[in-house]
Amino acid sequence: MKSLVLKDLYNIGHNAKTMLFILAVLAVAFIPTSGASGYIFISAVLCGMMIVTTFAFDDQSKWTRYAMIMPLSKKDLVAAKFVVLAIFCTIGTLLGLALSAVGMFIAEKGPLDFAAIGELLFLALAAWAVSFIIGGMAILLVLRYGAEKGRVLLLVSFLIPASVCFGVYQLLVLLGVVMTDRLIFGLLCGSPAIAFLWCYVMYQISCRIFARQEL
Amino acid sequence: MDAILQVDNLTKHYAGFLLDHVSFSVPKGTIMGLIGENGAGKSTTINAILDLVHKDDGTVTFWGQELSSSKQLKEDIGVVFDGINFYETLTPAKVGKISRAAYKQWDGYLYQDFLKRFCLPADKEIKTLSKGMKMKLCIAAALSHKPKLLILDEATGGLDPVMRDDILDVFLEFVQDENHSILMSSHITTDLEKVADYITFIHQGKMLFCKTKDELRYQYGIIRCGADLFSQIDKTEILAYRKDDYQWNVLVADKEKAAGKYKNAIVDNATVDDILLLYVKGEQVK
Repeated sequence: MKSLVLKDLYNIGHNAKTMLFILAVLAVAFIPTSGASGYIFISAVLCGMMIVTTFAFDDQSKWTRYAMIMPLSKKDLVAAKFVVLAIFCTIGTLLGLALSAVGMFIAEKGPLDFAAIGELLFLALAAWAVSFIIGGMAILLVLRYGAEKGRVLLLVSFLIPASVCFGVYQLLVLLGVVMTDRLIFGLLCGSPAIAFLWCYVMYQISCRIFARQEL
Repeated sequence: MDAILQVDNLTKHYAGFLLDHVSFSVPKGTIMGLIGENGAGKSTTINAILDLVHKDDGTVTFWGQELSSSKQLKEDIGVVFDGINFYETLTPAKVGKISRAAYKQWDGYLYQDFLKRFCLPADKEIKTLSKGMKMKLCIAAALSHKPKLLILDEATGGLDPVMRDDILDVFLEFVQDENHSILMSSHITTDLEKVADYITFIHQGKMLFCKTKDELRYQYGIIRCGADLFSQIDKTEILAYRKDDYQWNVLVADKEKAAGKYKNAIVDNATVDDILLLYVKGEQVK
């Protein structure tokens, strides 16, 4: 699996400068007007979505059929995509966090206090989870419909998890659960665990879809 | 005769195409050529052998084992497709690092030797390499994990004769080890005539024959004759025939016998190209 992760990192490394430039432009545009919170999410989700680009590279070079002649299984291939997604989400979150901290430092004209740092870290955790959830959905859709259609379905990658969250929220309201600040705080703290659970389900479904495919 | 690869009744249906119960084996120390016109089923056969497509029927075993039974088996199989499967911004050095992480048997020194031998620059992006160099890179990657079986799907297609000759020499060198074998599909029959020990001919999804190259070269012949003589030829002896403007070309399995029997006929040697053309464009006696 290491070879698959390495291949994606090498492939995407070529686009890294462009992505850094886009993130820098967005930082200038967003942080002074909308604050750091939105920017960390944008950075994490944008970097997470690079997973779709890796599929496009694979398609272009007919990599998948070559990978299957290596000592790897189809499950390894799917698992590697989730590992790469986690790496992209982490890089995006850390970049978002760093650029937000710099932006806030400039805006505040001085070092950040502990509360601001804590808030940023908390937001980063939630941003990582959101980008991992959306990316996991994107992997499944790309495996099912191909990289070209998968790009078009990026919006669906966002809408499906959002709809599931909304459905769960409505169910909780129906059951009489009151959404207190404490409960929301707890849910956000547990968001990485929720993201892992979500992506485990996506991984299982993706494996079944991919197992049926001919290369 | 130990077979490295055994294919039995391999069958695959597609809409409008049927690969129909193809069977052959690749013995140790030999090169098996897979020939046929475009769309005959050569690539489908190779894809099914490599489990890249689901088989509808039949079995494929490598050293007596099915490919799905062990990842280790893939360490001993090197594959080269008709194009490079690494993204164009990678370099040969990065291809080496990726492959090293995939194969336990990967030999980095051997890979470096191949890069030097093929004059491949380690740090140049793949997109800057010529088609021949890309093919050599694929072959270097396929050979550097020390496979015992090499499977080549149109690996020499699109290369100039000099480049093809270089690459064929590498294949001949590979089978010097009697535990090594090659399965090689190509529609460049002259390449196969140069290196193959056996020829398997697939036409419209059906296997027409699997014979030694020498049998084809020394026993098959083409009777060139007019209409009168053609009508006298025993139809059970005709494998395929084709009428040109003023001449009938008749493929027979025993040219010595034909030359003795039909004294007025010209009996030429048959090349693999001739055999392929007569089967594909000619007619068979019903």
